[in-house]
Amino acid sequence: MSDAEFPQSTEPTVQDDFEPVSVFEDGEMDLRPGADNCYKCSVCDTTCPVAEVDDDFPGPKFQGPEQWRLKRKDDVEVDDSIMSCSNCMRCDDACPSGVPLSQMHNTARGEYVDEQMSKLSREYVRNRILANYGTLARLGSKVPRLTNLVMGNSLVQRLNEKLLGITAERDFPAFATRTFREWWRERGGPQVQSEDKRVAYFHGCYSNYNTPEVGKAMVRVFEEFGYEVVVPRQRCSGTPMFANGMLDDAERAASVNVSELSDLLEEGYDVIASCTSCSMSLRQEYPELFQLSGIEEVAANTYESLEYLRIHEDLDGALADAAVDEQAFAYHAPCHARNQGLDRQAVELFREVDGVEMEDVGDSCSGISGTYGWKEEKYETSMKIGEDMFEHMHDAAGEVGMTECPTCSMQMEHGTGYEIKHPLQLLEEALC
Amino acid sequence: MPIRDDVVVIGGGLAGSMAALSAAESGAGVRLISHKKSTLRQASGLIDVLGAVDGDAPIADPFAALDRLPEEHPYRVVGAEGIREGLRRFDDVVGDRYLGSHTDRNALVPTHGGTIKPTARYPVSVAPGLASAAEDTLLVGFRGLTDFDPVAAAAHLEAAGVPFDVDGAVVEFPIQFRDDARTTRFAKAIDEDQEDVRDRLAGTVAAGIDGHDRVGFPAMLGDDHGTAVREYLEDRLGVAVFQIPTGPPSLLGMQLEDQLIDALERAEVRLSTGNPAVGYEAEDGRLTAVTVDRRGQEVPYHATEFVLATGGLVGKGIDSDRESVSEPLFGCHVPHPEDRYEWSESEAFGDHAFARFGVVPDDDLRPTDADSAVHFPNLRAAGGVLGGADVAREKSAAGVSIATGTYAGRRAGEEVAQ
Amino acid sequence: MSNAPSVLVIGGGSTGCGIVRDLAMRGLDVTLVEKGNLTHGTTGRMHGLLHSGGRYAVSDQSSARECIAENRVLRRIATHCVEMTGGLFVQRPEDTDEYFERKLEGCRECGIPAEVLSAEEAREIEPHLAADIERAIRVPDGAVDPFRLCVANAADAVDHGARVETHAEVTDVLVEDGEVVGVEVEHAAGEGPFVHGEAGEREEIYADHVINATGAWAGQIGEMAGVDVAVRPSKGVMTIMNVRQVDTVINRCKPKGDADIVVPHETTCILGTTDVEVDDPEDYPEEGWEVDLMIDTLSELVPMLSEARTIRSFWGVRPLYEPPEVGSDDPTDITRDFFLLDHDDRDDLPGLTSIVGGKLTTYRLMAERIADHVCDRLGVDAECRTAEEPLPGSEDFSVLRDWMDEFGLRSPVGRRSAERLGSRIDEVIGEWDGPNPTVCECEAVTRAEIHDAIDGAGSELNAVRLRTRASMGNCQGAFCCHRMANELVPEYDEAVARDALDDLYQERWTGERHALWGQQLSQAMLKHLLHATTMNRDADPAASDEPVDFGAFDAGPGTVSTADDGRESGVTTDDAVADGGTSGGSDADS
Repeated sequence: MSDAEFPQSTEPTVQDDFEPVSVFEDGEMDLRPGADNCYKCSVCDTTCPVAEVDDDFPGPKFQGPEQWRLKRKDDVEVDDSIMSCSNCMRCDDACPSGVPLSQMHNTARGEYVDEQMSKLSREYVRNRILANYGTLARLGSKVPRLTNLVMGNSLVQRLNEKLLGITAERDFPAFATRTFREWWRERGGPQVQSEDKRVAYFHGCYSNYNTPEVGKAMVRVFEEFGYEVVVPRQRCSGTPMFANGMLDDAERAASVNVSELSDLLEEGYDVIASCTSCSMSLRQEYPELFQLSGIEEVAANTYESLEYLRIHEDLDGALADAAVDEQAFAYHAPCHARNQGLDRQAVELFREVDGVEMEDVGDSCSGISGTYGWKEEKYETSMKIGEDMFEHMHDAAGEVGMTECPTCSMQMEHGTGYEIKHPLQLLEEALC
Repeated sequence: MPIRDDVVVIGGGLAGSMAALSAAESGAGVRLISHKKSTLRQASGLIDVLGAVDGDAPIADPFAALDRLPEEHPYRVVGAEGIREGLRRFDDVVGDRYLGSHTDRNALVPTHGGTIKPTARYPVSVAPGLASAAEDTLLVGFRGLTDFDPVAAAAHLEAAGVPFDVDGAVVEFPIQFRDDARTTRFAKAIDEDQEDVRDRLAGTVAAGIDGHDRVGFPAMLGDDHGTAVREYLEDRLGVAVFQIPTGPPSLLGMQLEDQLIDALERAEVRLSTGNPAVGYEAEDGRLTAVTVDRRGQEVPYHATEFVLATGGLVGKGIDSDRESVSEPLFGCHVPHPEDRYEWSESEAFGDHAFARFGVVPDDDLRPTDADSAVHFPNLRAAGGVLGGADVAREKSAAGVSIATGTYAGRRAGEEVAQ
Repeated sequence: MSNAPSVLVIGGGSTGCGIVRDLAMRGLDVTLVEKGNLTHGTTGRMHGLLHSGGRYAVSDQSSARECIAENRVLRRIATHCVEMTGGLFVQRPEDTDEYFERKLEGCRECGIPAEVLSAEEAREIEPHLAADIERAIRVPDGAVDPFRLCVANAADAVDHGARVETHAEVTDVLVEDGEVVGVEVEHAAGEGPFVHGEAGEREEIYADHVINATGAWAGQIGEMAGVDVAVRPSKGVMTIMNVRQVDTVINRCKPKGDADIVVPHETTCILGTTDVEVDDPEDYPEEGWEVDLMIDTLSELVPMLSEARTIRSFWGVRPLYEPPEVGSDDPTDITRDFFLLDHDDRDDLPGLTSIVGGKLTTYRLMAERIADHVCDRLGVDAECRTAEEPLPGSEDFSVLRDWMDEFGLRSPVGRRSAERLGSRIDEVIGEWDGPNPTVCECEAVTRAEIHDAIDGAGSELNAVRLRTRASMGNCQGAFCCHRMANELVPEYDEAVARDALDDLYQERWTGERHALWGQQLSQAMLKHLLHATTMNRDADPAASDEPVDFGAFDAGPGTVSTADDGRESGVTTDDAVADGGTSGGSDADS
């Protein structure tokens, strides 16, 4: 308990006119008022995929509004179960009352990592590495074949598990022999010029280093619709950093992204992402967690790629005459797509396309939640959460999976052995 | 290129889902816009139609009591036939997963509080436990749970004069969870039969069965495999096994939500979820679009007919501040006493005005303004957003949603067809 | 019974509880009677400010000096009831410099540590303060939990041999040969360790001396004894916010007025207050304008209050007293000091002393003076030790440091439990056997703590609430009232538990009614749906004399109705009792 009985001076200090003090100065966020919206209905708890399989996790209602409401200003202690939250953000989507649940979780996790986690612990080091996948990937993809060979080696995988706590159960995603950005450069940049249809592509780390075919599909589809595409300088969207409570890392990356994208907004570009976690991050987490000049505008003008076309183009019309080879997909909507209201669009869009059979495998979470499922101690939980999805994928007619999220696609592949595609790839096949 | 459908339904709860299904049935292209998970997850999963009027409770035949409802009650608009139509459509949606359609009469269901309550449709897993069936009953609860105490509930049922013997037993759940584990954790463990939990549960309960005809558990007996769980337990215990509906988190409510979504998918209703409807566009007095906020950008969803099913005070379809009560999306008129102290009564279960807050429909369920003129000829309202019914005390919440949702959706579809 | 002189104390507020502890520690044979729960009257209806004395530093310096002295004592003896938040007197542009300087000067004169902060410094401490404030004075104000404080005093008194009798209303003061010799009480319904009589039973309790510590009710007791005690009850509203917008006591730095203080209290903030004289301390209007005044006026200090959620409001009645010759018109002019009325000296009625006026912060000092006085009257020579001996729960506060992992509680839950229980946490939670789930999620109250309160307070859930804070959060009992009632069974009958549930539910509703708009109206509707629809508690056949005709209801497909319309429904078996009576007993605790 504090004791306020120690006045240091009796003279008033200099008093100037000043702007209101920022409530969130120095990253200190006080989200207690966010608890005003909670009316305890527990709907968030019913949608939490972690609480359903892990009784150590008390659920989002506790982690969010309850924990914040119980806090006092000087309390530093955040319950350590916050690290079991996978940041799937389904609770945000569930709350009928607008409690900023994921913001509360992100902030509490940031506080926990800052104040309570040892910076020398294996967990911290491992999380820092996982959170900074982009850096790792940049190094790895300089010599992709060698990296793939090394990371695919089972001895290395076991070492990773022993030394770092990165599960040996998963195969590291293979690096492409040519990154998306290399392809873009070699191609000579945009093939279409336009004054009024302009998009800036936020490809994120994964499309760049691991699945450039998604990025290429995005470029070709948008150019097919007459858009001028540019590929700005960019850093990680921050998603894995939020999930690991590395808010400082995330803010550094965000400041680069916001600055680059703000400039393009002024030139009439909208921001497009093909990864739903990237678009989620730019749209929601950036303005919730950081105060950067232009951040609100970037958030308001960022779109997921399919969403953008659905709003601005006659996609149904364009697809009406399209036909593709007979194929059947088992589609999984990533949690972060669900949060942006995008969970139905791929199914509804392709349902009418000749040759395509598209089956939604249900609203369960894939369980990997970015870096979560890579952690040795979370691997089992991650696979338990994914069980529903695996089961429904096996039940579905299709032998190919489809999703917008790169880590969901890893999990889908890991759990079923299926090849996984991005909706843009099918759109490319149908339209280009 | 605008997003366009024939009918747009705003609100993804019971009323909105029934409206969308009903409109789709007519052949219209339907889009359902919903912001968050529906309040079904807080509800018991029972389908009440009418269980109390004017302090007369419980009512055995809801249809016989309709003419005792106040004039402004939404049932007065749709009538007995509207309620029957809604129930028929609901029965189609849930198929054999709900019972009660064989009679007009209410069943009496034991609640987790140990009371009994009248309801018109009940999940098949609840059916063996009806308090209106005279069979000796054992209620089983788990030591770590606080919401349901089988001993208290059993004694409470006795006090209500049920025509059978009832006992309660608190047992350990076979798997040791943390004390604050969520209900969904228990359900998942049973659903997947983790650590042989079904066998162990049967073993724990078997000793207390003696002399009872049936045994009831709080509604957490599995999810996808609920039927198999009950069959297994019935086989092992040699008596009927039933679930007792609970408050939030309500697994029965969640299962009903899943069934509705399946039905919407089968009906090829387009679902747009996760973003709020925040405004509208109108032309020549007709609604042309509702706009949905996708974090800073408003996207219009066009249609020719609209259904407002955003819920009541709980679902946030009705909002209030210190001075007034409002319908936030279209600004529809919501009558309310000027003095906010007249919104409620001093008795906790009094005849609260707030419980009846909502928009005032015309005889075609179209919201009207203070002068009884319709706001838009192509906008109908359904479910909790409608005023005039104290659904809590009447035990009519689900019935009002089903009946008005079905009516509003059908009428929207008919208008499109013309 | 011992041979020690006996004293009977009427009134289970802070003063009465303080006196009974003090006298019991001095070895007297003491009984306390209270017509409701402990803190039933004014003590349970205040904003929980632990005065630094700053509020009286200009107008009433002797009170101010007592406050700062007792403030320091309470921080020592009642650690687990006190949170030293610190306090600010905030000056707005329309508040005068002159008063600000007088306040500062007054604090210095009274020995109250006071420090001037610039606006910027004040807003660093409390970021939600208005942007246009001028400056502030920082003083050692704090927050005190009156419930916990009274319970701790009473519990310690019992440990020292006292008898504490709640729900025992004084129906007469016994006067024999011109001397007060005791009281007659009527025991109310209720079960538990503090209720020794049967409901409705009357008991005469004799004592060598009777102390009337009933505050605003002192006049009524005086009347029974035939003496005039002219208390001038004054009501004040307090509005409770859902969360703590501030963690420091915020006072407006201007002469006393309405709506000039925000006190952080546990998980909430309390806005106060008004000062309006009333005729009857139990029957006065509670009006919406008073709530609006709190929100609108205090928003000038903390703007976010205008949009923030309030969860309830309540009113308290100050037991103001002034000697009849003073004759103030405005209750705000009446001194906050306390008066000891010895009715032997004053009215030639030996055996009775009344205590009126005063404030919670100085309760212990008042108790000490009265105990001194009574001991003097009774010829007892014993030292007061209440300023040195910590209250139960505050003996060894270092235990707080270990709250975390020890009991398997989530850290915020453990922290809150430890703050409420103080050093008793080990006894209450550490020794609990069996699962210890959280019963009240808003306030993080676990089953073990609920049972500890039941052990202490019996079946009355409002008393359990006061001890634990269960049901005092934003859901106002929607999710926990029935859980609390469940914890009473099987120790108490289901019927007792049901009555207790109804009482608690109604009590919560009464205060919540003053907050019914916006979020709290949504909350109230959800509560209404859970308790009326899901649990059908409003039309519970168990509470009705009308039997249910079970045979008229659907008993499932394939059954035949006993009703005469020929439709399928109704019960099937022969042992159904058509009139709804039970068909046999049952063993409810098998």
